[in-house]
Amino acid sequence: MPDVQRRCLLVSLGMSGAALMLPQPAFAAAIYPDKNISFVIPDGPGGGFDSYVRAITPAMQKYLSQKVTVVPTNVPGAGGARAANEIFRARPDGATIGIFNVPGIYIQQERGNAGFDLEKLTWIGRLGVDHYGLAVGENSPIKSIDDLKALAKQRPVKFTSTGPAGTAYNATLIAAHLLGIRAQLITGYKGSRDYVMGAVRGDGDAVVTAIPTLRRMAAGKTLRIIATFEEHGSVPGATDATALGQPELASITLQRLVAGPPGLSADITATLADAMTKALAAPEVEAWAKKADAGLAPESPEQAAATLKEQIAFYNKWKPYLKAGH
Amino acid sequence: MLHVWLSGIESLLQLRELMFLALGMAIGLVFGAIPGLGGSTALALLMPLTYGLEPFTALALSGGVMGAVPMGGSITAILLNAPGTAPNAATCIDGYPLAQQGKAGLAIGAAASANSLGGIIGTISVLAVLPIAKELVLLFGPPEFFLLAILGLVVVATTSRGKMLRGLITGGFGLMVAFIGYNNVSGDVRFTYGVEYLWDGVRLVPALIGLFAVAEMINLMVKGGTVARDAGTVKITRMMSGVMETFRHPATVLRGSIVGTVVGAIPGVGGVVASFLSYSLTVQASKDPDSFGKGNIEGVIAPEAAINAKDGSALIPTLAFGIPGGAEMAVFLGILVLHGLQPGPLMLIQNQTEIYGLVWALTASCILASCVGLLLVRPLAMVTLVDSEILAPVVICIALVGSFAIDGQIGNVVITAVFGILGYLMLRFDYPRLTVVVALVLGGTAERSFHQTMMMNNGGWSIFVDRWVSALLLAAIVILLGSPALRMLVHRLRARPIAAEKPQT
Repeated sequence: MPDVQRRCLLVSLGMSGAALMLPQPAFAAAIYPDKNISFVIPDGPGGGFDSYVRAITPAMQKYLSQKVTVVPTNVPGAGGARAANEIFRARPDGATIGIFNVPGIYIQQERGNAGFDLEKLTWIGRLGVDHYGLAVGENSPIKSIDDLKALAKQRPVKFTSTGPAGTAYNATLIAAHLLGIRAQLITGYKGSRDYVMGAVRGDGDAVVTAIPTLRRMAAGKTLRIIATFEEHGSVPGATDATALGQPELASITLQRLVAGPPGLSADITATLADAMTKALAAPEVEAWAKKADAGLAPESPEQAAATLKEQIAFYNKWKPYLKAGH
Repeated sequence: MLHVWLSGIESLLQLRELMFLALGMAIGLVFGAIPGLGGSTALALLMPLTYGLEPFTALALSGGVMGAVPMGGSITAILLNAPGTAPNAATCIDGYPLAQQGKAGLAIGAAASANSLGGIIGTISVLAVLPIAKELVLLFGPPEFFLLAILGLVVVATTSRGKMLRGLITGGFGLMVAFIGYNNVSGDVRFTYGVEYLWDGVRLVPALIGLFAVAEMINLMVKGGTVARDAGTVKITRMMSGVMETFRHPATVLRGSIVGTVVGAIPGVGGVVASFLSYSLTVQASKDPDSFGKGNIEGVIAPEAAINAKDGSALIPTLAFGIPGGAEMAVFLGILVLHGLQPGPLMLIQNQTEIYGLVWALTASCILASCVGLLLVRPLAMVTLVDSEILAPVVICIALVGSFAIDGQIGNVVITAVFGILGYLMLRFDYPRLTVVVALVLGGTAERSFHQTMMMNNGGWSIFVDRWVSALLLAAIVILLGSPALRMLVHRLRARPIAAEKPQT
């Protein structure tokens, strides 16, 4: 081939190659979501977080612009740290998100070699929030907080609870301190139903845990709720934080926050937040929530990030007291 | 009362419910047979599928799965010495020797009928007990859990006949392994050496798969040959006589069922304790205890009856208080919550039809699974004739994959491999593996319950005798510990007069 023609051919080939490698215009960019989304749950199937996620994922699918499946994925282990790590290390393409127990997961992060940083995650929203309450067994002679205070003057009040890595343990200690009750915790129970049963049985004098759990047992006439740590009490016959003169009690909460990996784009976050909020308002989800006594409390991404900061600040404020080995 | 029972059956006898029951049964049988899978995995995989079903249909499906799993597990336990589920490990002890003697059909037949009878007796007990379920569950607290754990350990130790010291060594090893991980009482993390996987401790199921399935296959490869020692002795036609064997040992079936029902109702203790306790008590009560471990059919009947009885009673704490009786029940709870059924004292009052329907579904599935198991005995028994060169790699692969499949952690596979080698060494040097299993299951409970008891009573020991249930359990432990010595004493006293009559030479 003559020199000039060959050069022309090579140049044109080179230019077309370069043209092909240029960033493609918008029609080739993937529209989110373009593949199935994995919704990570830090617990095994059958737990509280699991039920929430499984209840809303079918509804969420309806409100996403593309037809994909949102798959509830159980990643139990290490008190939630395993799931947190998986989400923290996932690619920020919107294919992996997860639900977190706040402040429970923060306690795990504080352990040291956790491997994730909650404040770096991209917060998407909230599914629900639980306030705590205090209850005694149905046959207990204790009828009010004042009775507990009177008992505490004779001996420490025994509360049944989980181990120090659990949210209930800290909630119990903080609540007891705010109420001015000398407390001694019987730890070691494996889950919330377990230690509530402990109070019902009489292993301990009282128990502090999330209100829905208490309500369930109270409905079966095994427990008596004597206080709820809310601004305005939702349980008739039980006093509330305002009446007790301790509004800080209402800051003791269990938040079910949803987040994606660090670096998730604002577009994807907004899409997911939108789908989640719509799903929480869907009639079938509301019906489930009513039947299961599960509170639905959506939040925007900014609100969720703020809630996280609030909870971390609250826990850090109490850390010296909690670590003093009560 | 009768009217509620009948409404339960009535709701079950709809075509759709029966179809789902049968489907659940088939799934349960398969998942039960494959080591590492089991009821909890089956239910977890089915959970999203139940979302669109009516609550009662979901219950029929779940009941179908739960009732069939033990039968599936016993088949692999007998044929391959690889328990399909943890409680079936007790069936291996006498079931596998029977298979080696070519009597696999006999063993599976006996297991099938023990399954059915145990399930029926368990159901009757549950139905009788359900009205007072609440009060019963409340009787058992940390002091009782501690003593039950000790009882379990004592029972197993006293049945390691002639190998008491070895039994104690392996039991001690099991306890040491049980203490690895995060301790819920003090908040310490023990013996993990920084390995994140061990935070949750050494999981029972991977360890079990290693100790039994993998170890057995290594042993088989080393020995060579087939499971059945002599192909000519494989008599699969003895299946029906196997079924009849159960009826010839009514005391064993009854004992197993009662143990299963009682132990199954105590949350957290689980099926493993039920089956091993039933096995051990049968050995103790037998006139020929040394024949156990070598192919005594009662050694198959006892644990199988217990396992199926426990399935029904495990529902009691689960439904009455939402406290799962075991891993399977924990997943089942999730299915209930998903369908808006809140377990708790209220459920016992408001959802009686559903509860009774579930109990009937469990029973029906259990009987159905036994029949299907019997139909499959002939082809299944052929497994014992497969050469070890083919069988061992296949089983080891399935075991390792099954171990991984539990929750997708590679750590499980490592545990299985390590325990597989340990198990083989134990087999080779004749150390009992039973004690390791029981110690692993009960070690954590024993420690936790003890600390809780001390916290409850400010360090005083009097609590163990102040509560009547613990006093009873304490008495049982003392009797069990004393009975071998007592038996020896009685034996000697009886021998003395005869010796006195012997003429002097």
